[in-house]
Order: sequence, then C-alpha cells, then structure tokens
Amino acid sequence: MTLVDTLPAGQREVLLEVDNISLSFGGVKAISNISFDIRVGEIRAIIGPNGAGKTSMLNVINGFYHPQEGTITFEGVPRKRMRPHHAATHGIARTFQNIALFRGMSTLDNIMTGRGTLMKRNLLWQALWTGPAEAEEIEHREAVEKIIDFLEIQHIRKTPVGRLPYGLQKRVELGRALAAEPRLLLLDEPMAGMNREEKEDMSRFIIDVNTQFGTTIALIEHDMGVVMDLSDRVVVLDYGKKIGDGPPEEVRNNQDVIDAYLGVPHE
Amino acid sequence: MLYREAGDFKTTYRSDQQTFPIKSERFLFWAVIALVALAVPFFINDYLEKAVLIPFLVYAMAALGLNILIGYCGQVSLGTGGFMAVGAYATYKLMTGFEWMPMPVIIILAGFITASVGIVFGLPSLRIKGFYLAVATLASQFFLVWLFNKVPWFYNHSATGQITAPPREFLGFTLTGANAEPYATYLFCLGFVFVFAWVARNLTRGRIGRQWMAIRDMDIAAEIIGVNPLMSKLSAFAVSSFYIGIAGALYFSVWTGAAEVTEAFGIDKSFDVLFMIIIGGLGSILGSLIGAAFIVLLPVLMTNIFARWLGMSTEIAEHMQITIVGVLIIFFLIKEPHGIAALWRTIKEKLRLWPFPH
Repeated sequence: MTLVDTLPAGQREVLLEVDNISLSFGGVKAISNISFDIRVGEIRAIIGPNGAGKTSMLNVINGFYHPQEGTITFEGVPRKRMRPHHAATHGIARTFQNIALFRGMSTLDNIMTGRGTLMKRNLLWQALWTGPAEAEEIEHREAVEKIIDFLEIQHIRKTPVGRLPYGLQKRVELGRALAAEPRLLLLDEPMAGMNREEKEDMSRFIIDVNTQFGTTIALIEHDMGVVMDLSDRVVVLDYGKKIGDGPPEEVRNNQDVIDAYLGVPHE
Repeated sequence: MLYREAGDFKTTYRSDQQTFPIKSERFLFWAVIALVALAVPFFINDYLEKAVLIPFLVYAMAALGLNILIGYCGQVSLGTGGFMAVGAYATYKLMTGFEWMPMPVIIILAGFITASVGIVFGLPSLRIKGFYLAVATLASQFFLVWLFNKVPWFYNHSATGQITAPPREFLGFTLTGANAEPYATYLFCLGFVFVFAWVARNLTRGRIGRQWMAIRDMDIAAEIIGVNPLMSKLSAFAVSSFYIGIAGALYFSVWTGAAEVTEAFGIDKSFDVLFMIIIGGLGSILGSLIGAAFIVLLPVLMTNIFARWLGMSTEIAEHMQITIVGVLIIFFLIKEPHGIAALWRTIKEKLRLWPFPH
C-alpha cells in the first residue's frame, strides 16, 4: 500500500479533470458546463436519470465526441481533439452499454484484440510469424490468460462470443477493456439487465480490479444499491447539468438529487 | 478413428495456437502437400496444367487476397479484375523493361505495385462502407481497365493493344512463352500459393488479423479499444491488392501468356472471385482454396463427364454444366450460408466425437 492508497478518495492526486465541458448536437444541449475530477485509484460513479448525458460524458472522455467548449486534462496533460484510438493508447479503456464485442471472434481473440495497443511487431514480422511475432504473441497470451483466470471464464476461452449468454458477454467485454492495462477504466452500465447473482459477481470483479490492479474506474450505473456500495464518490447529472457531487451518503441526502429521481411538481 | 484429439495435450501456448492443433490434421496436411508437390509434377500434362491446375492456383491466389479484404476486414470490393490487370501490366512492363530480372522478383514487385494502387483505391473506405464502398471500388475496376486501354505506354505501343509475355527462364526452367514446361509452371504457381497462403494465415492469426476482424465485426468499438481504422483498413487493402496483383501477374505471364485488358480483366473476373470466397467461406483461408476449386474445377469436371464419358454434344454438355453448377451454388448457399469451409468445420466437430456422439 502506497501513501496514495491510504488517503481518502477526495484528497488523492487528480487523474482526469473535466473542466467546463459543453456538448451539443444541433440545438440539443447534451452536456452544459460540467466540471468534475476523477482521482487516482477511486471508483467514481456517474448517475442520473435517462437522458441526463452520462453516456455522452463517457464519449467525451474517450474522445468519441468532441465538446464544443471546455477542456479535459488527463494525467496533467490537457487535450483538445483526440481520436478514440489515441485515448485507448494513452490508457483509457471502456465497456459499452449495449455489448459491443466482436461477434465473429472467440473470447480469447476478443481479449487479445484489447491488447493490440501494447503489441509492437509490424506487418512484415507478423507475415513471417516464426520468431519475434510469435514470441510477442505468446508473451501477451500469458497476460490475457491471467485476465481470463481473474474473470473466471477459462471454459469459454475458445467459444465464439456470439454464442455466449448475456452475463458472460459482459464479462468478456470487461476482460477486453482490462487487457489494455488501462489507467482509467470507463464502465457504461456494467450491470444492466443482470440478475442479482450476476450483479454480485460483476461488483466483485469491479472491486477486485480496483484494489488488485489499482485501476481507476468511472462507472455509470442505475442500480442505486450497487452505486452506493461500490463507489468512493458520485457525480449526479440531470438534463446535462451537474446537480450533485460527493461521497455516496452526501449525494443520497442531496435535495436536488432526490427531486431529479423522484420528480417534483412543476408550478 | 483417423481423426481424434484424445491424448493430444497442449502444454505450451505455442502448441495451443498452431495452425493444425490436432495431430492427424497435421499429418493430412503434409500428406496433401507431399502429393501435390512431389507426385503431381510427374504426370502433369498440358491439358491438366492449362485447364485445371494453373487456373485453380491463380484463382486461389486472387481469392486469398479478396478474402483478406472482404472476409477478414469486412470491406466489400468489386475491383478485383482491375487489380489483377495492374499485376499483369506491371509484370509485362517489368519483363520487357528489365530483361535480367528473375521471374519471382518480377512477380513480387508486381504485387507491391498493385498494393500501392490498392491503397489509393482503398482511401474511400475510410469514409464509406458496405454497398457504397462496393460501388466506389467498382469505379476502380472500370477506371483501371480504361487506363490500360487508353495509354499505349502500358502495352508498349503494340498494334493489337495486347500484351504478350516474352519467354523467361528461372534456374534453367522455362516458365513463360510457348516452350514453358507444364511441371515448371505448375510448381512455380504452387510455390507462390503455398507461401502466401501461409503468410495469409500468419497475418490473420496475429495482431493485425484481429484488428481487421474487429473492424469487420464492429468498427466503432474497435476504434474505441485502440484499433487505428486508417491503418487497419489501408493495410487490408494493401495486402489484399498485393495478393490479387500476384494472381494477375501469374495469370498473364504463366497461364495465358497474352492478355487484352477488356477481355481478360473485366468486371466478370471481379464477380468470379467474389463468388469463390462467398461459396468457399468468408474469413477462411481454406475457404478461399475450396471456393477457387469449386468455381474452377467443377465446370471442367462436368464438361468431362458429359462430353467425354456420356458422349453428349459439346453444346448440351456446356449448358448442362452451367445449369448444374448454378444449382449446386444455390444448394450450398442454402445448406451452409457460411461457405463450404464452415461445412468442413461442422464435419470436424462431428468427427471429434465419432462414433459416440454423446
């Protein structure tokens, strides 16, 4: 345990800072003037009712959308426009709300693809295979097998992912994101559509990723029980605006948040 | 029990990820290679060479290339004929311009020239996909054919507009021209197909192949997990065109010996190769070979059966053959939409458990 780990989440070093981000599609303002930070080693939850701009926020963070205003600073380096694959090579990985696995490939190949950013051998070495390319492949296979062990999916290693049940697909997707050894992991509704048992499994994996690998996690989730138990700090969005930010117990008692979730009579 | 994996344990990742993980499969593979490389050259004749084996090898090469692009990377292309023409004309210019150059070098160089042309025509794939990309590549097909007709430099200002392969030797074996030996041309083509099928397998099982397949299966997710779409798509176009260029080079230099671009490399070539990979199996090396065999060899076989053995007139045999091949294509596509290679995979799965399926 380093000193950083023993500090409460709010006092650690900032990993990612979102400053005054605004994003609109034509006349629709998806996100307006949102600022928050994600600190090293924490589990940061982003919650809010449907259409609040949570997924748009993740898309901004990993470079899929480009905000009209505001800056994002990752590991102290501010960035303006960035393609998603650059975000991936800089250490931001993510999973998707609707499963976005490569359906024609096996579990192993899916997770190996996630490791592509760490593999270096060029086309000519790959064409020869024997030698450096094969050695590299085996080296990364070992790392991927560790992830497979960690997620307890050894038995489906060579199964095409299209044939897997939903819960396992979600797990493979987490594996694919982990394979890149990210410093920031974005999880978009990792437990959507799961039953209680699967949610408990997934929660366990998320906590283990956080504590064993030290990966910082930002997650969107609708299950409040899960959010309150897992996260160190919570940011609440509603209609593209930030209405709450802080530790779970503080957010839970925030009147704006309660109003957003339960609705308030409009005069 | 020829085909079994019981007792065939894998203790290293290296042995787990080899191409033929089952011992009997490896044995079968090397037996086939030994047969085609060591036995066939002794009884090959002109007919077998020009009508059966060389056509199969040339189309197998083209199918391998197109399968990398469509089957692995998911970028539909109808420019195959045009790219084959680039390979053929590059070979012609190299053969006539640099007479000292050995044939294998010429063929490989023709491949690289086609690859660079392929990259240029692959640029639209960064913006458009699916049917729209297919139409964009169709433009390359017509443009390239027009170009080779229009600019006399490409056919050395010959009066007929044709290109003709001058006779060339390699290691003392005549490969091109009228005096080419059947066994020499056959082994020459076989060597190329063997080596480049192996290369295709290597590319598709490593990082680059996985990135191609990721682009094919879900391009947005692929980009978000770190696949560079520009590099992946253009490398697929380059590698694919390289193969198709070599196929065109072999088609012109070793097989036909002469070519006229409109006739030899028209749009029907593009469709032929496309049908091969659809029937053989998209995203499968074996499928490319099976598809080429199906489209090239079946008509030859049919014509032989009907005209020679059953004594039908050649016209009737011809029509019978077209009908039956058509019906067979429909049959296979209904029975196994993923191609004959998928059928073979199913058979293997069954064989693993045979004779006790439960």
